[in-house]
Amino acid sequence: MEVSVMSSSQAKICKTELGLRDLRSCFGRNNDQNKIFSRRPNTVSFDSQISRLRKAGLRFTVKAVDSEPILEAKSSTSSKSLDRSRLFVGLPLDVVSDGTTFNHARAISAGLKALKLLGVEGVELPVWWGVVENEEMGKYNWSGYLAVAEMVQKAGLKLHVSLCFHASSEPKIQLPKWVMKIAESQSSIFFTDRSGQHYQGCLSLAVDNLAVLDGKTPIQVYQDFCESFKAEFSPFIGSTIKGISMGLGPDGELRYPSHHKPARSGTIAGVGEFQCYDTNMLNLLKQHAEANGNPLWGLGGPHDAPTYDQPPISNNFFKDHGGSWESSYGNFFLSWYSSQLVSHGNRLLSLASSIFGDSKVDVYGKVPLMHSWYKTRAHPSELTAGFYNTASRDGYEAVAEMFARNSCKIILPGMDLSDEQQPHNSLSSPESLLAQIQTTCNKHEVEIAGQNLASGAPGGLEQIKKNMLGENPIDLFTYQRMGAHFFSPEHFPWFTEFVRSLNQPELHPDDLPSEEVQAIESVQTSSDPNIHLQTA
Amino acid sequence: MATIAAGSLLQNPMLSSSRCGANLSLKPVYSLDCSRNRKLLYSGGAFFSNSTSCRKNIHVVKASSTGTASIDTSSFDDVLYKDIFPVNRIEKVEGKISIRLDQPKDQLQWRLTVGCNLSGKWILHWGVSYVDDTYSEWDQPPKDMWPHGSIPIKDYAIETPMKKPSEDDEFHEVRIDFNPSSAVEAIHFVLRDEETGAWYQHKGRDFKVPLADYLEDDGDMIQEKTGTLPDSSDGDDQNSGNESNDSTNENMQLEEFYEEHPIVKEVSVGNLISVAVRKSPDAGNIALNLETDIPGDVVVHWGVCRDDAKTWEVPAVPYPPETVSFRNKALRTLLEPTGNGSRALFTLDEKLVGFVFVLKLSDNTWVSFQGDDFYVPLSGASGVMGEHGQSGSESEGISSEVHTDVIISEIRSLVSGLNSEKRLKIKVKEAQESILNEIEKLAAEAYSIFRSSTPTYPEDGDLDADDAEPGLNISSGTGSGFEILIQGFNWESHKSGRWYMELKEKASEISSLGFTVIWLPPPTESVSPEGYMPKDLYNLNSRYGTIDELKGLVKSLHAVGLKVLGDVVLNHRCAQYQNQNGVWNIFGGRLNWDDRAVVGDDPHFQGRGNKSSGDNFHAAPNIDHSQEFVRKDLIEWLCWLREEIGYNGWRLDFVRGFWGGYVKDYLEASEPYFAVGEYWDSLSYTYGEMDHNQDAHRQRIVDWINATNGTAGAFDVTTKGILHSVLERCEYRRLSDQKGKPPGVVGWWPSRAVTFIENHDTGSTQGHWRFPGGKEMQGYAYILTHPGTPAVFYDHIISNLRSEIGAFISLRNRNKIHCRSIVEIVKAERDVYAAIIDDRVAMKIGPGYYEPPNGRRRWSSALEGYDYKVWEACS
Repeated sequence: MEVSVMSSSQAKICKTELGLRDLRSCFGRNNDQNKIFSRRPNTVSFDSQISRLRKAGLRFTVKAVDSEPILEAKSSTSSKSLDRSRLFVGLPLDVVSDGTTFNHARAISAGLKALKLLGVEGVELPVWWGVVENEEMGKYNWSGYLAVAEMVQKAGLKLHVSLCFHASSEPKIQLPKWVMKIAESQSSIFFTDRSGQHYQGCLSLAVDNLAVLDGKTPIQVYQDFCESFKAEFSPFIGSTIKGISMGLGPDGELRYPSHHKPARSGTIAGVGEFQCYDTNMLNLLKQHAEANGNPLWGLGGPHDAPTYDQPPISNNFFKDHGGSWESSYGNFFLSWYSSQLVSHGNRLLSLASSIFGDSKVDVYGKVPLMHSWYKTRAHPSELTAGFYNTASRDGYEAVAEMFARNSCKIILPGMDLSDEQQPHNSLSSPESLLAQIQTTCNKHEVEIAGQNLASGAPGGLEQIKKNMLGENPIDLFTYQRMGAHFFSPEHFPWFTEFVRSLNQPELHPDDLPSEEVQAIESVQTSSDPNIHLQTA
Repeated sequence: MATIAAGSLLQNPMLSSSRCGANLSLKPVYSLDCSRNRKLLYSGGAFFSNSTSCRKNIHVVKASSTGTASIDTSSFDDVLYKDIFPVNRIEKVEGKISIRLDQPKDQLQWRLTVGCNLSGKWILHWGVSYVDDTYSEWDQPPKDMWPHGSIPIKDYAIETPMKKPSEDDEFHEVRIDFNPSSAVEAIHFVLRDEETGAWYQHKGRDFKVPLADYLEDDGDMIQEKTGTLPDSSDGDDQNSGNESNDSTNENMQLEEFYEEHPIVKEVSVGNLISVAVRKSPDAGNIALNLETDIPGDVVVHWGVCRDDAKTWEVPAVPYPPETVSFRNKALRTLLEPTGNGSRALFTLDEKLVGFVFVLKLSDNTWVSFQGDDFYVPLSGASGVMGEHGQSGSESEGISSEVHTDVIISEIRSLVSGLNSEKRLKIKVKEAQESILNEIEKLAAEAYSIFRSSTPTYPEDGDLDADDAEPGLNISSGTGSGFEILIQGFNWESHKSGRWYMELKEKASEISSLGFTVIWLPPPTESVSPEGYMPKDLYNLNSRYGTIDELKGLVKSLHAVGLKVLGDVVLNHRCAQYQNQNGVWNIFGGRLNWDDRAVVGDDPHFQGRGNKSSGDNFHAAPNIDHSQEFVRKDLIEWLCWLREEIGYNGWRLDFVRGFWGGYVKDYLEASEPYFAVGEYWDSLSYTYGEMDHNQDAHRQRIVDWINATNGTAGAFDVTTKGILHSVLERCEYRRLSDQKGKPPGVVGWWPSRAVTFIENHDTGSTQGHWRFPGGKEMQGYAYILTHPGTPAVFYDHIISNLRSEIGAFISLRNRNKIHCRSIVEIVKAERDVYAAIIDDRVAMKIGPGYYEPPNGRRRWSSALEGYDYKVWEACS
């Protein structure tokens, strides 16, 4: 008589247990060394999967380095070629909303583990001016954000911090209370449009160097903020924090708030309006006009520009043929208007790179993808937003040059947009604009990181993939944004599929003898200890 | 064959602490260990030894046949690199299971002693069969038989840990004392080793110790060779004659016996591989010594790397003796035996960057380093060193550990050559499944917390917008969102034998009531007439009618615009044939599965499959969905049903019995228009009173839906349960959860909740959990005005409730209330609940007062009945 071992295949047991979904408890109660052994097959998966993802990551790194050798040499981070980031996911905008409270902490904790297993490199954390320095100038409360950074670090993920000097409408996060208080008596610190409406989402670039904030200039206040951030997060900077985005304007982007309301998806956006009507902007314009010998040109913006939601043809300024934009006045105004924006960007980015330049982080600034009306000659949406880019002029030269000068990288949102999905007859072309900016940036050796505008847009993930793996591969992409929808069964499976597909093409099979193949099939390996901690 | 990993759990027990310094690469698996990479840090012949922690883990199972190789401890002066890799192997250890039945002196009690002389954490998993139980199934033993420390396992077995009589003994045993006069006919048991999770049986069956002498039909019990029990060939006639005597004539047939059975246990054994690189006397060369204490022939497959790409290359000669080339990609060297292990010395060009190898043992197992090749850096690795200098200098604590760890694994990835790529490729398929499962689970967790902490449900709104977009066609099994279900049968419908024909006549009537989906009874051949004990899945002639009648019915239902759900029982299936032990677990018909298709953890059916991925249904063999052939066959069957019968979707029976992830596979393959699962378990009660908060209950249902990836909805059992309490006890405030949302699944995931108040099990002639009598219309007033997909029970539309229900359905359709409609609960008090749905419909149930305010909307009364009232907004 003999006794047989009934469950000889341990791998099978474990698979079933996974089915039972008690992987967690299975790890949890395994204090006993022998028992761990029997669960070994579980750990195989994590190891191989993660290393596979990393392997793919490495492959792309090499590609990117090849195309931009000079920039790589300039970069202060030396070990980049090994742990270059690939995919980041944005944390919820309101992850910290009152300075101390870490919102959705449990959900985010689970979410981070899922992302880590999926092979996502890190997460993006929006840090709001209006949250940290809300009560009074110089009084910072970083505790909530520090807690987030710690959790991210423990999850073994990287962090990209976006310093947000703007406000958010959904969820509602305003500029700091004390700034809003100042604004009550001094509304000219905001951008103003032709009809006198103020944009309260960020400060006007015209006050950058004016001591409008209780005796300090906004640049000084931003600088103090950044330095406080650097001091508080020094244990994380360079190790967990790999990148910092400097907020440059509305929604953090380098632009004028030419559209007060975002266009409803699926509708055709209007051209937007010039935002040069606050007292300080008008002063600057006046000085500039007088210096140019045309004082009459300095009294205001173009009189024949359409309003926010109108198409270009509804007035003269943006007309394809004979529009004022092509006149010498047009050139005068647009040159001035766009150079003000570039100078503003330069002020903030040089500030950021002087503060963070010695740390092992990359500094980024966000440039908008103003793609509507791109197929017209005037590119009105770009013009009102401050980019003097038309059929006959590359407006991104100055921008790219400015980023290169400050050794900063560009974040471009809208990588999920495809021409195909644009409303019919919109004359919009996100893909062509993206290609143009990429070309200009390549010329100036400015690296571009990607972002999407909306999650769940049809075809969005395919478009992102196309952009990430295309001719100009994007080495860092931040996917927006974690939240209920992100993890919902309607979305998450697609995202998973997307992440996995980024690691294609698959490994080529080679010709090991079949005898070995069989041996390998039941391979048991040990695990990545990092992953273990997460699942324990 | 198996492959073995190194660098993990068990360090060799003989490793003394004085060796810690040299032992930098030992890597405890469950801790972040930054010392691992320091093996790459070497300079000027010395190696770093600043590892502070040295874990000594003494392996419980001592390797009987292996010793530790003498590890070279000669002078370190010329050592460029040294590392020791711990290795785990599986080794078979033989032992004995002993079974003794005796009657200790001076005692009435008898004693069964089961022992095992192997180390381990042994558990006796046992049960008894009683004399009057003709099925000879397992039952829990009477309490007075339970040895100390026993715990019950479900309702048919107990587990008793085996104990060592003395500490330093390897022998484990358990004693069961019993009185032979009890009605116990036999003791059944199997052994389990908790350390490995392995089960040990007797010839593929349970051990069985008969205590009474009759009812032996198989002659295969143990200890018959002792001949001390009445011969089992005596036959049944004699036994049945003796039956009445058995319980009174104690000790008559019971005889003492003792026997032993051999047992083989797989234990893991720790070994070491030690590698040392030294300067070679020959200029320009270095010498690599590889040594291991693994017994038997060890073949090293090896190659070298010339650059950081770390692909395998074959170096130039010289090679050690016993070396052959292997497909021009690697070399194979048989290690020379030493006293207690084997070794080889490799002479290598010092310009090489690295040495990569894996081992193949005499039993055809492979030894690798955590899934990759072992990698030994040679002198050219100075580039890598710089990197690590940097990481080593980085801040302490987790950050450096994590960072280091990332670098380690990246180096490991780099190291992998052709060999491990191939390995990865093969592993990926198996690996992906489990990692994705874990990811899905975490995402589901994140999702449910995010959802419940989000005051609004923008994702549902988004979805609606998305639904409108062309090109986004997610088959979510939820139909149009405007579905209203009817359960088209009750528990008695099989009686006439012509249900399909009867229902066919009612098709247009059902459609005209406003239903859009009808759920038909289970169609397959079944052991029970109602259809829930399926046998041959492809035989669709049932007590409800023939396959042709079914097809005709489906055709008529389609003709009047109804979608049809088939009731599919995937959890269990009744067998056609017995196995060699007389257990019914061999299937017949087109899907003639054997016992591999039956889950292995239900002793009643002796399945050879894996453990069930859910709860077991004890009346029939539970299907092991983890078997690929089972899944393939079921998918094929579902697709056949879609095609052949024309079903549009599924009602899935007893989905608690198996993991939702399998359902996902089935639904993705069969692409139903609508699918709903029956996940029915108990709500939470405290002191007999139902808890107000049923979040745990609905969470389990939501978890299941999540596991299916949202491809199926589920019956909202939570809502039904809460409505019971609300109506029975007049506690209408229960209808709002802490967040002011509906308290059932419908409050959390409306688009996947199928609300109902009664079905064939809860009501009809079974009445397992009947809805409070006379209050059905309040239930329908709730589910037919609220989001979720409501399901109406057949009995109710053939009752006097029919016209009221019809009025609600037309109100729902008229106001375009759908599964994601927005509910605003305006009142949830003791005696009244009121809500406004989509700003178009106001409703109240309960005796209390409510009228919708005529503010921004004007309301006009639409329906009114006993304790309910509904208003519509005037446009």
